[in-house]
Amino acid sequence: MSHAVLRTENLTKRFGGLTAVDNLSISLPGGRIHAIIGPNGAGKTTFFNLVTGLLSPGSGRIFFRGRDITGCRPHVISRLGIKRTLQVKSVFPELSVADNLWITRQARDRFLHPFRRAASDLDAKMRVVQTLEQIGLADLATRPAGTLSYGDVAMLEIGMALISEPILLLLDEPTCGMSPAETSRAVAKIRDLARTIDIVIIEHDMDVVFGIADDITVLAQGAILASGSPAEIANDERVREAYLGRPEDEDFVEEAAHA
Amino acid sequence: MTGRPLAIGLAVGTAVFLITVPWLIPALIDSFWVSVITEILIWSLFASSVNLLFGYVGLLSFGQALYFGFGMYGTALGIDHLALSFWPAFGLGIVSAMAMALVSGVLAVRLTWHYFAIITVVFSLIFYFLAVSMKPLTGGDDGINFSLPPVLRLGGKAFGLTDPTFQYFFVLVVVSLCLFLKFRVINSPLGKGFLAIRDNDLRASLIGLNVYVLRLIAFVMAGFLAGVSGALFAFFGRYASASYMFYQVSGEAVVWTIVGGAGTLFGPLVGTALFIVIREIVSSHWEHHSLLVGLLAILAVIFAPKGIVGLWNGWITRLDERAAASPRLTLQADP
Repeated sequence: MSHAVLRTENLTKRFGGLTAVDNLSISLPGGRIHAIIGPNGAGKTTFFNLVTGLLSPGSGRIFFRGRDITGCRPHVISRLGIKRTLQVKSVFPELSVADNLWITRQARDRFLHPFRRAASDLDAKMRVVQTLEQIGLADLATRPAGTLSYGDVAMLEIGMALISEPILLLLDEPTCGMSPAETSRAVAKIRDLARTIDIVIIEHDMDVVFGIADDITVLAQGAILASGSPAEIANDERVREAYLGRPEDEDFVEEAAHA
Repeated sequence: MTGRPLAIGLAVGTAVFLITVPWLIPALIDSFWVSVITEILIWSLFASSVNLLFGYVGLLSFGQALYFGFGMYGTALGIDHLALSFWPAFGLGIVSAMAMALVSGVLAVRLTWHYFAIITVVFSLIFYFLAVSMKPLTGGDDGINFSLPPVLRLGGKAFGLTDPTFQYFFVLVVVSLCLFLKFRVINSPLGKGFLAIRDNDLRASLIGLNVYVLRLIAFVMAGFLAGVSGALFAFFGRYASASYMFYQVSGEAVVWTIVGGAGTLFGPLVGTALFIVIREIVSSHWEHHSLLVGLLAILAVIFAPKGIVGLWNGWITRLDERAAASPRLTLQADP
């Protein structure tokens, strides 16, 4: 493991009596799609919240490309290049689709000009047009984001991740609530993105996980239960017991093992 | 018919009306109404300060009267105690309002929604009671009077606000400049940042916006607008009084903004004009005219959540859409 893009040391977060993330030491190498799975309450989203600065850890440290980012504020971490999507789809509902992308692009700069016309920034404008094409929302560019369908909002979120040119992208259940067609469109986009940026994905849809992940980490009760390639995870006895072992899930475990 | 000519017509009509007020109004009604319209312009600038925070950044302040009061007292004390001339006193009023906004904003913008509303009220009440009790300096509720220095001298001739026509145009120019500045800010990258924070502050921080600093900038800008309006009102009334720092003054501006249309450039002007005209007409016949204000506010919140200007904009958009959807129909209508 030469150069980890994201590394944590003994990361712990407690909410009252509940330990959401328990002494978690994880190291994610660059250049791969890393999936984090686990039953509800395993601490997956809490882990993302700790990495992006929405929560500060009780103890332990977080390193992004070797740099200690523990306790940094969310906008500082964002500017370093860690972007994320949220589990509950989250855009700027009253801004147009194009403006959602535009402000996401602008926010990378420290300085927002107070008097110049926003529309006069041609570079940002071009990037917005490009991104609209890429995510297939060009026809909806002037619509307020709050009026889009659920799947289109999810695509917009991926577009916002794209246009901000992250180094590390954290996706929190990106295909949740999507139709099968939208899911395959999103999966294709994520694969495409992974060629240039590092991606960590939380996902409940096992077809998606075993379809795109290079590595899988299984969390249970805030700690790592198992970690390895999709085939290793699918054959891991503890994982089968703790998470995949329910009879109705057998199908895709089998499927993945043969994949 | 599309909405565009209607919108342009309204804008041109309003502009022509505002420029001809000093001659038109005395000829049609009474010169008293020139001073009412001057007052409307000043208060609409004050309402704009509420609108900048509430309509564009999503912060509902019930304490903007504090910065209005600082603008007022900065100007009045500058003239009365420091013997400043017109422009330095004007500047002192604006700077003290902005400085106060910076100091209270550092604490206030950490909070949002009702907590923010409460802390802004608390700040304004603290300074209201301070101003009332520091009678030697502020004159308390009675206020302090001062005499107006001239605005400028040209070739030995002094122009001052004692001339109602000059005063009207002075206020019109200052208010227009401030609204133009606000327009520039709203349409700038910074303004889009404000809108993003209003819509979703969590997401805004995740895309890299420093939510706290942007809110603080907006708060100081709102302090600027309130300070300018306070200074203008001090010139207009030739006095400053602690009573204008009371939270009721802040609350009125919130109502004007919401009824006129929060988040629109001219909403505060429309709302302020409506309520001051109602006050001037009704209050001489009926002492409970504030009941009417309350009723209108309730109706606006229920039936026109984006205010009067929001209704108008929606109407124009629908006209445009109808025109775009059926081009043939308009052709037939125009033989």
